[in-house]
Amino acid sequence: MIERVSGIALNTFRESIRDKVLVTLIVFAVLVMGSARVIQPLALGEEAKIVKDLGLSAITLFCVLISILVGGRIVYREVEKRTIYIMLAKPVRRWEFILGKYLGLMSVLVVSLVVMTAAFYLILLILGVGAPLSLLLAVLMTLFELAILTAVAVLFSTFSTPITGAVFTFAVYFAGHLSRDLKLLAAMSPSPVVKAASYLFYYLLPNLGNFNIRPEVVYGVPLDPSALLLSGLYSLVYTATLLLISAAICNRKEF
Amino acid sequence: MSSYPEPVISVTRVSKVYRSGLRMKRVQALTDISLEVERGEIFGFLGPNGAGKTTLIKILMGLTEPTSGSALVFGRPPRDAAAKARLGFLPESPYFYDHLTAREFLGLAARLSGVPKSEAAGRVTGQLRLLRMEKAADVQMRGFSRGMLQRMGIAQALVADPELVVLDEPMGGLDPIGRKEFRDIIVDLRERGKTIFFSTHILSDVEMICDRVGIVIEGRMVEVGRLSEILTSDVESIEVTVKGVTGKTQKALERVSQKAIKSGDQLLLTVRNEDDVDRVLAICREMGGIRVVGIDPHCPTLEDYFMAHVAKAGRAS
Repeated sequence: MIERVSGIALNTFRESIRDKVLVTLIVFAVLVMGSARVIQPLALGEEAKIVKDLGLSAITLFCVLISILVGGRIVYREVEKRTIYIMLAKPVRRWEFILGKYLGLMSVLVVSLVVMTAAFYLILLILGVGAPLSLLLAVLMTLFELAILTAVAVLFSTFSTPITGAVFTFAVYFAGHLSRDLKLLAAMSPSPVVKAASYLFYYLLPNLGNFNIRPEVVYGVPLDPSALLLSGLYSLVYTATLLLISAAICNRKEF
Repeated sequence: MSSYPEPVISVTRVSKVYRSGLRMKRVQALTDISLEVERGEIFGFLGPNGAGKTTLIKILMGLTEPTSGSALVFGRPPRDAAAKARLGFLPESPYFYDHLTAREFLGLAARLSGVPKSEAAGRVTGQLRLLRMEKAADVQMRGFSRGMLQRMGIAQALVADPELVVLDEPMGGLDPIGRKEFRDIIVDLRERGKTIFFSTHILSDVEMICDRVGIVIEGRMVEVGRLSEILTSDVESIEVTVKGVTGKTQKALERVSQKAIKSGDQLLLTVRNEDDVDRVLAICREMGGIRVVGIDPHCPTLEDYFMAHVAKAGRAS
């Protein structure tokens, strides 16, 4: 089982890492982080915070783009190009195929995160604004967020086209960051229908706001380690659930 | 062949209905198909485009489920990993991963098929050599021609040395040399005791290498059997070619022939049987100055048989 899953993951990693889309996105991310040098004089004494905030936001944004753009077509492309016929005619179970594709894409995201973070620290050192290791916590939380988002992208990829899948995944991403507002709306709305719908979406959609600790690390606000641990656990459970649903859909699918 | 307890492939009364479009229109792809393929056989699955060949192969590969009936591979359901571990599959017009090299892709195929790590590299190199792909071994496949992709498809199907090889239109995209090499590979596989099930519409290849054939037309199996049983050795007609024919002689010869075609100074006559050949020869002797340059008995070919079935199905529908 491990051999097959890791084989598919390695194949997905190789395919994606050699794709021009990925390289372009990483280059753009580094350029955006580097652009901090240009806006630095406008920061009025807050240079260090703005450079760090911009860098961490660029890392998150571009990794989210990679997750959605590459993840959204990851299974669909296999069906479209019929490479899935060859994969599934081997002694590979369908859930192994989904897990392998997911892990391959996550490996790509980990490598992208490492490259972007290394570039980010290099820029911080060049600009001389300080490069505390606590910033890595924000990157780690981005990885937890990407784990969920990639599982959402893979789920949509099992039954929709890449464009539809990307739109839906973007929608989940934005709604996931607004889930606290959904809870607020549910509490304040007088309409029972709006209340019920708001609660439904609040509990159904991933609470991605939990993973945004960028303001805390940039402004040096102390973090609660148990909250971070809980977020990691939440990411693991949510991701596993989504992958199980994806595998169930793939299992019922006729090619 | 008989030492194997059960057929390698066993299809019993399989039907497949697809639903397509918003109105879920019913499309009957296969109707009541039954066949068995024994160990060590080369089985040719014939049919025109859209006859349902690929649908049955997809059922055998576990990619789709039959609406009714049952399909077994090595006595197990097609989706069973134990059954899939013993087969190699080449889909129609295969397409692979653009950014992988030939060696990487075959390595993946070997790994997924359960080839031990210690043997994988040797198997991959062996397949690359067999399919004459050594020079392209470390090139990414996005630049490969149709023929090279077809070779890669065959290589990945054979890399784990499977007992059963299922090939969907394997001759597509191959030039005459490639087709000859491919036929040699199939014959070699049979000599090593492998079972081969392949679909095609190139009848000459089937006649050359298949032990048995199944003919499917419009989703129905119209014939399954040995080629020697399907194609009788009875002479269907005889072609007589004569030279130096004049107008009056030509009319006399045409009267005893089913068909006469004049080409230059030669006349090609198609006659029913040996008695008619004697009549033609008698006319030639009588008229003088005519030379008989060829007498060729014409036995029914698979193509004749196939076309007759297609025409019959067309009339019926």
